Amino acid sequence: MNGTLGHTGVLLGFAAAVVGILVLIVGLVRGRPDQLRRGRLYAPVILLGGIVAVVAMQRALVTHDFSLTYVADNNSRSTPLLYSITGMWSALAGSILLWGITLGIYVTAMVWRFRARADDQLVAWATLVMYVVCAFFFGLMLGPADPFSHVSGAIPPDGLGPNVLLQDNPLVLFHPPMLYLGLVGFTLPFAFAVASLVTGRVDEDWQGETRRWTLFAWTFLTIGIVLGAWWSYQVLGWGGFWAWDPVENASLLPWLVGTAYLHSVMVQQRRGLLRVWNLSLVIATFSLTILGTFITRSGVFQSVHAFSTSVIGPLLLGFFGLVIVVGVGLIAWRGDRLRSPGGIDSLFSREGAFLANNLLFVLFAFVVLLGTVFPIFYEALNSGSQVAVGAPYFNRLVIPLGLGLLFLMAVAPALPWRKSSAAVMRGRLAVPACIGVAVVVGCVLGGITGIEPLLAFGLGAFAAASAGRALVLSVKGSWRSARTAGAPPARAALAGWRGLVGRANGGMVVHIGVVVLAVGLTAATAFGQRGTVVLAHGQTGTFAGHTVEFIGTRVVRTPSHISQQALLRVDGGAVFTPAISQFGIGTRPVGSPAVDSTITSDVYLTINSVPDRGGAWTFGVVVQPLVMWLWIGGTLIVVGSVLSAIPGKRRRPTDPVSAPVAGAAPPPVADLEPEVVPSTEVPDARLSVGAGEAP
Amino acid sequence: MTDVIAPEAIPAPRPPRRPTRHTARWVGVTVLVIAAGLIAVLATRPPTTTTEVQSPLLGHPAPRISGVTVDGKAFALPRAPGTFVVVNFFASWCVPCQTEGPDLVQFAFQHHKSGDAQVVSVVFDDTVSGARTYQATLGATWPTLADHSGDLALNFGVRAPPSTFLIAPDGRVVAYLVAPVTAADLDQLIARAKAAGL
Amino acid sequence: MRSRRFPLWTLLGVVLVVALLIGSGVFSSSPPTNAQRAAAIESVIRCPSCEDLSVAVSTAPAAITVRATVRRLVDQGRSDQQIEDYLAARYGSAIVLEPPTSGWSLLVWALPIAAGLAGLAIVVVVLVRRRRRGSAALDADVRGPMVDPAVLEERRRFLTQSLADADAEYLAGDLSDADYLSLRQRDLARLAALGDAGPPTEDGGPGPGAGIGAPTAPAATLLAARPAEAVVASGGAKARRRRRNRWFLIGSVACFAAALIVAVPVFASGRLPGQTATGSVSLSPSQQVARALDQAAAVEDQGQLGPAAQLYQTVLDAHPDNEVALAQLGWLEYRIGQQGSSATLISDARTKLHQAAVLDPGDYAVHLYQGTLDLQLDKNAPGAVGQFALFLAARPPATVVSQAAPVLRQAYAAAGTPLPAGIPTT
Repeated sequence: MNGTLGHTGVLLGFAAAVVGILVLIVGLVRGRPDQLRRGRLYAPVILLGGIVAVVAMQRALVTHDFSLTYVADNNSRSTPLLYSITGMWSALAGSILLWGITLGIYVTAMVWRFRARADDQLVAWATLVMYVVCAFFFGLMLGPADPFSHVSGAIPPDGLGPNVLLQDNPLVLFHPPMLYLGLVGFTLPFAFAVASLVTGRVDEDWQGETRRWTLFAWTFLTIGIVLGAWWSYQVLGWGGFWAWDPVENASLLPWLVGTAYLHSVMVQQRRGLLRVWNLSLVIATFSLTILGTFITRSGVFQSVHAFSTSVIGPLLLGFFGLVIVVGVGLIAWRGDRLRSPGGIDSLFSREGAFLANNLLFVLFAFVVLLGTVFPIFYEALNSGSQVAVGAPYFNRLVIPLGLGLLFLMAVAPALPWRKSSAAVMRGRLAVPACIGVAVVVGCVLGGITGIEPLLAFGLGAFAAASAGRALVLSVKGSWRSARTAGAPPARAALAGWRGLVGRANGGMVVHIGVVVLAVGLTAATAFGQRGTVVLAHGQTGTFAGHTVEFIGTRVVRTPSHISQQALLRVDGGAVFTPAISQFGIGTRPVGSPAVDSTITSDVYLTINSVPDRGGAWTFGVVVQPLVMWLWIGGTLIVVGSVLSAIPGKRRRPTDPVSAPVAGAAPPPVADLEPEVVPSTEVPDARLSVGAGEAP
Repeated sequence: MTDVIAPEAIPAPRPPRRPTRHTARWVGVTVLVIAAGLIAVLATRPPTTTTEVQSPLLGHPAPRISGVTVDGKAFALPRAPGTFVVVNFFASWCVPCQTEGPDLVQFAFQHHKSGDAQVVSVVFDDTVSGARTYQATLGATWPTLADHSGDLALNFGVRAPPSTFLIAPDGRVVAYLVAPVTAADLDQLIARAKAAGL
Repeated sequence: MRSRRFPLWTLLGVVLVVALLIGSGVFSSSPPTNAQRAAAIESVIRCPSCEDLSVAVSTAPAAITVRATVRRLVDQGRSDQQIEDYLAARYGSAIVLEPPTSGWSLLVWALPIAAGLAGLAIVVVVLVRRRRRGSAALDADVRGPMVDPAVLEERRRFLTQSLADADAEYLAGDLSDADYLSLRQRDLARLAALGDAGPPTEDGGPGPGAGIGAPTAPAATLLAARPAEAVVASGGAKARRRRRNRWFLIGSVACFAAALIVAVPVFASGRLPGQTATGSVSLSPSQQVARALDQAAAVEDQGQLGPAAQLYQTVLDAHPDNEVALAQLGWLEYRIGQQGSSATLISDARTKLHQAAVLDPGDYAVHLYQGTLDLQLDKNAPGAVGQFALFLAARPPATVVSQAAPVLRQAYAAAGTPLPAGIPTT
């Protein structure tokens, strides 16, 4: 029954997508707006099909219906309810189902949002592209990745249960859905990009209209990646959070290119430049999500995260190829319309900084992609011998790029559009640069060595101070405009919150979050210490300045697993319980770590070996400073994104960086010191007039 | 008299031909070529579940197989054992090992009679007691080395159980399998090695 | 008149460079210890049974074995390459996480660098070519009689907006005078050229774009407020200074970038033998000693007397006057000597304890040890009692007193002296 229901849902979704495609094609080719309006009605039907399939799958999982192969492989009677629910996306076919329903949600939301323009060709083409993607993924579920296939033979009495690593931590409830909300969300700007190329309407501001959608997708992709790192840290037991695993890289690639796109779009809105860049970036982001799907599911890449092998690999590759061909072809076809009306006036301007930003991010993505696929290439070229590309390679190449990005993050918010001069920049960046150098000097005096960490800390402080400066200016500007508008002092002070919302200000908060994350990352990887303590019951050991006291042990039995826990008191304070758990019988015992997290450092405890008879246990201890900064930084990034989505003072996208906020009195001419000679005494009175909000 | 040149005789000044920029096309072609190469290679890769794989030991003398068994007795295989030796790295928690266990028992029994092959098991990433129970339950009659230090696994380059090596009578490694083996697989490999003159 | 400006940026630059040089460890690098070498090698060897982790971070038994092997080989004096080859001969070449820089795998290093340089080169070439061709070339597609009037209008609108933006930015202080003027000039020239181009309007006059020429009111006011010669002098000294500033800026950015590209890989990632690729917090010598003593004490608590003695000996080798190490080592030697009946060890133990007592008479442990030796070796009860009195006078913690109580009672009983207060009698 569940299987039939599920099949019905998938079929419904697929059929709706296909019919929707046909109707829209008729409407577009024959120029019949009524067909276009009718075409958008199929989106809710796709969503309905997805919902029916998901309901069927969840019902099968929760009621342990082992007549379905998927349930038999990923669920068992002893699986707790939470992990039954998350079993839907724990393996390949179910993950495609999650992808499908996310697509259904996005396409319905898009159709609803643009319902007033349903007979607009641009919107119709975009809807058509979304339908094609839906048809592909629902089609996968009809054939190769069928989540509702029946077991051949007798129905087993009990299932195998989910992968042990996926039943350890409730984070499995959040990480994949958030990740998919992010990855799938990039389909929408891609659809609009293709639509704009096909219709030739490349000058319209479809990027502005879809900006919040792109930001939404980007935010969830960021959450997904950071949650993934957190999960890796809390569950896998090696004390690290990023292993440059092919599947991790698969989610990082669209994030990198998507971030470049979010920045570069500002140049197009402001000056109409970098059009080909933006279209290429958005098409590349979507293609990388498809390539990422392939990497995760094809079985070609060995990874601790990868799903099992399947025949959908070639299909995904084919779709990837189709996307690339369509994208490149369209850009080449419409090349003449994409010519910018102007050029970059000067590299030393915000346009130039965004161009450099694009280059760095694209190079970053290239390095990650090359490192991920190179072992495959090498084996293809030299059959028989293999080469591994791991963290040392990525770190060596990526760290200089990251430092360059930090530098851009520091300089760009203060760079004006069009053209800048050393005088202007010297004045604006003096304080942030002093802070940066002071941090470096402080670190050296504090005994920190290593050029990479020092540069990271210094540039991070520089970038954070620069972003802080922009925020301060923006808040001051809001105060000033509120006072000028006649509000009483208390209200005017509160009105400063307006200086924190809006695209640019939210962006500054995001930058601060990135800096916090980068500093935490650097400190944890560069200054982490690993070791073991061998303790018998009651003994205390020390490592890296922390004491660990072995208080006792405990055995915890649940229907799904038996856990042997060790109680350790860290630094005479709280007690932590690393454990070794056995799920089922005849499976490999899985270790779970316990972490003492404080804002300054994390003490990460694992059980390395248990003696056969009474004796000393070996515990692994990893002490890493500033790990919590990673999660704080991630939270700040999300907060900044949300702030960025809140509309700030409505302003034309073409206003200059330091322009006064609308509604404020124009600055008196005497305020503007005509300082011809470049000097650092360019009075900041001129600058304090303007709010920091960039267009 | 000035020459009046008829207007038709003056060639109309042609507008200078703007050099057509094919940049977009060249970049597009480059991207397509790279993408095509990427897809071609990725599409033709076999999934990572093959049985017989490469090892740097193939064709070379096998590392010394000696140590303490799970029962505490010493065991050492001569450098040139004189028979084929199947060295099987296993663990009691390893599900594929459980699959291939009965096949090994069958293989050992058959070749014990003909005397041309023997089996030696080595514990990998497991407790000695667990391994001992596992082998006893299986009915294994051949020696099981405990490999406390893990050096034997290191010398053979073992990554994960089950890993099986076939060693020729003269001591050279002739095959390395990383998936569960069947008795038929092993017989086939022995036949292949014998045909090659080992 | 040039106002004297504080050379802030020069100062910042110098301080930064000096701090980075000191911090990168060029001046204080000592030959790497075996442990450091082993750690560096372990970070590039893949854990055999994991997917992407190095043996340095993995807790798998296979990783532990590899780590032990690496340390053994490092102690034997083999080079990094030899150790990697040793492991590759067993696990295959994919056991090293960093692809070698030879053969096909050179591609994976060369391609990113080549791509980066190519991207940079393309951008620079395109910009230079565009600048050389002049802004008129930007509008080449809207010249001629066959142009679509809508496209032409769009271009005109863009340029008009561009001029207005330049005014606004100048007012807001983002643009310097010279930049503002040059941008205006450029856009005005383009607009004028467009005004003559395109299909003629109905009245036969120039296109609608020609009317724009004067800056907006506030910008005009600002310009007017300037001293005339500063505005007029767009060439000459100001232009030279501007050019020099620009070259200085470009030069410094290029130097910084080059330094980054060179310094970071060389210093941080070039694996000099034994150096770790990332930084470390350096401990002061006293912190190092304290840590070594802690370690030795922990090992001793586990009952491994020999290794603990070795650890204390290493501390003594570096700091012969470390009283704690002397006392503890003496005590350990006594215990080991007792186990193995080694007279030399025992006499050496005695010497050490004497030395320790001389160095720090106030340490309770030394007196406890000496007293025990006196009692058990020499059967010298009065001498033991004397030492124990000193021990008690040095205010030992209660746990130590209760642990030592049996031997104290023995000594006092043998000497016939009453037990001092505070010592448990059972």
